[in-house]
Amino acid sequence: MEERRYRSASGGPIALRARQHSASCRELAVRCPRLQLRSLSAVTSAVWLAAYGLFVLSQNSMVLSAAIFITLIGLIIYLHFVKIDQESLLVIGSLGIQVTSSYASGKESTTFIEMSRVKDVVINEAIHMQKVIYYLCILLQDPGDPQGVSEVVPLFQSSKPRLDCLIEVYKSCQEILEQRKTTPPSNGIK
Amino acid sequence: MSAGVPEGCAHSVCMVSDFFYPNMGGVESHVYQLSQCLIERGHKVLVVTHAYGQRKGVRYLTNGLKVYYLPLKVMYNQSTATTLFHSLPLLRYIFVRERVTIVHAHSSFSAMAHDALFHAKTMGLRTVFTDHSLFGFADVSSVLTNKLLTVSLCDTNHIICVSYTSKENTVLRAALDPRIVSVIPNAVDPTDFTPDMSKRDDATITIVVVSRLVYRKGIDLLSGIIPELCQKYPELHFLVGGEGPKRIILEEVRERYQLHDRVRLLGALEHQDVRNVLVQGHIFLNTSLTEAFCMAIVEAASCGLQVVSTRVGGIPEVLPEDLIILCEPSVKSLCDGLEKAIAQLRAGTLPSPETVHNKVKTFYTWRNIAERTEKVYDRVADEVVLPMDERLNRLMSHCGPVTGYIFALFAVLNFLFLAFLRWMTPDSVIDVAIDATGPKSAWTKQYFLGKKRKR
Repeated sequence: MEERRYRSASGGPIALRARQHSASCRELAVRCPRLQLRSLSAVTSAVWLAAYGLFVLSQNSMVLSAAIFITLIGLIIYLHFVKIDQESLLVIGSLGIQVTSSYASGKESTTFIEMSRVKDVVINEAIHMQKVIYYLCILLQDPGDPQGVSEVVPLFQSSKPRLDCLIEVYKSCQEILEQRKTTPPSNGIK
Repeated sequence: MSAGVPEGCAHSVCMVSDFFYPNMGGVESHVYQLSQCLIERGHKVLVVTHAYGQRKGVRYLTNGLKVYYLPLKVMYNQSTATTLFHSLPLLRYIFVRERVTIVHAHSSFSAMAHDALFHAKTMGLRTVFTDHSLFGFADVSSVLTNKLLTVSLCDTNHIICVSYTSKENTVLRAALDPRIVSVIPNAVDPTDFTPDMSKRDDATITIVVVSRLVYRKGIDLLSGIIPELCQKYPELHFLVGGEGPKRIILEEVRERYQLHDRVRLLGALEHQDVRNVLVQGHIFLNTSLTEAFCMAIVEAASCGLQVVSTRVGGIPEVLPEDLIILCEPSVKSLCDGLEKAIAQLRAGTLPSPETVHNKVKTFYTWRNIAERTEKVYDRVADEVVLPMDERLNRLMSHCGPVTGYIFALFAVLNFLFLAFLRWMTPDSVIDVAIDATGPKSAWTKQYFLGKKRKR
């Protein structure tokens, strides 16, 4: 297992962790920095100060309690649905690709794509929020047309690693996908 | 010719225009063909335009021509809205990641082209502008566009016009120094205009006219020529393609002299139908009273027709004397010219369409245009970009007291905005794009087949 440091498209630090389970099974995880106490306290104090200002003006104590609830609910929603700590990619040559994102609250969401549906893994470019960035995506095979692509699944959507990191991931994915092509399929899994 | 340029001299050119495929037109094909020929010569070229419907994001065309379809709002006539600022973040990102050295904007109707020039100058990149159109000076809208053009072009490194008339027009409109304006004509794709003898009816002689039916194109002369020649030559037929306010005159002539079977008015023609009309004729007649650079006679000659034209504007420069019969813009002179052409046709002394085509196809080729554009790039690359203070001085001294100061203020604001963007996302954070064209090109056919891009 090794860990390497990279940067994300917005300039923040991220870490790529590659774990080799076996020759045809590899796990790649991109880890974002955890929620900083500094930013948490900054946001909280900003909301509370604003609420206190309103309270002074309106003399209504509802404002203060509303501010507390807003902060708490906002924090829960942020940790549970927005903030992603780690995005990982588990590539098993004979089985498929598992994409997992772990939220800061500990919630995990997982999707699994069978190897027979994976056409290729490529790096593509997209215009995103006044930026043009590179991203890694899985192309899914169109069942009707062997040459066609039915869907594109973008990877590492929250961490948005830069090109050097993507190339690293791309190479290790391709190594395993190459094995799939050279070794004949067995056990009914194409 | 395809050997290309030495490594050090290759430019990284960014073509910016609101008009690009899938939209169809003259500017679009100019940008595309020029880009293809520059790629062939070893330069790195990319095109930036706005999104057309579902066609947005980054696309690749033939030979790795990279096209950015930016999600900007279209305001009027496929031209984007301009605020001078909102396109800066994206354009700056593209200029930085593609390591652009020259920004080449096209068409004065394109707001995005002007925006890009403005941003490129703020970023200290070299700028080239190609003007594709002629303007008037009288009405309010042209006064306003002329003012805008003055502002936009006063600190642009080099301007390219498609003809000498267009150059004069632009120099006057934008109050420019003529030394920084070059003339590079448009080219014809000779494979689109090939002769086809089988479409001709050799029992008759057909004279083809393809132009808009407006005063400028000398349709009044045409209405004098038609009855005179039709009386003299019973086997003569006229084929007129085009639409316009002067159509009524031709219909009148046809009515008065009972020439319904011999004068056919086809109405407006699509560009792809022009060739099919041209090959039906033997002689092409152009009666323009003023003309910047007559594309129509080149297309006709490329189809192997004998060209008879008026001697006005830039027309005498367009074709060599053995391919064209030049006349004064009067009915008598044009009739003489046509009679001469008919006599030659009957005597069989005209060169065959194939030989004419083979000759004409060497005159206006995109490769030649690309070579000349490259010279402009070489020249621009040696020039210095005006630093901010000189640019402000230039704006204030060239563009009048009010406009000058307003745009100088905009330039300062743009500079501050750029400084803010540089602080938000420093250049070092922006990934350098992998070159699809140019000296470090990663483009191969297999690569493309393996990586089918789809979104």
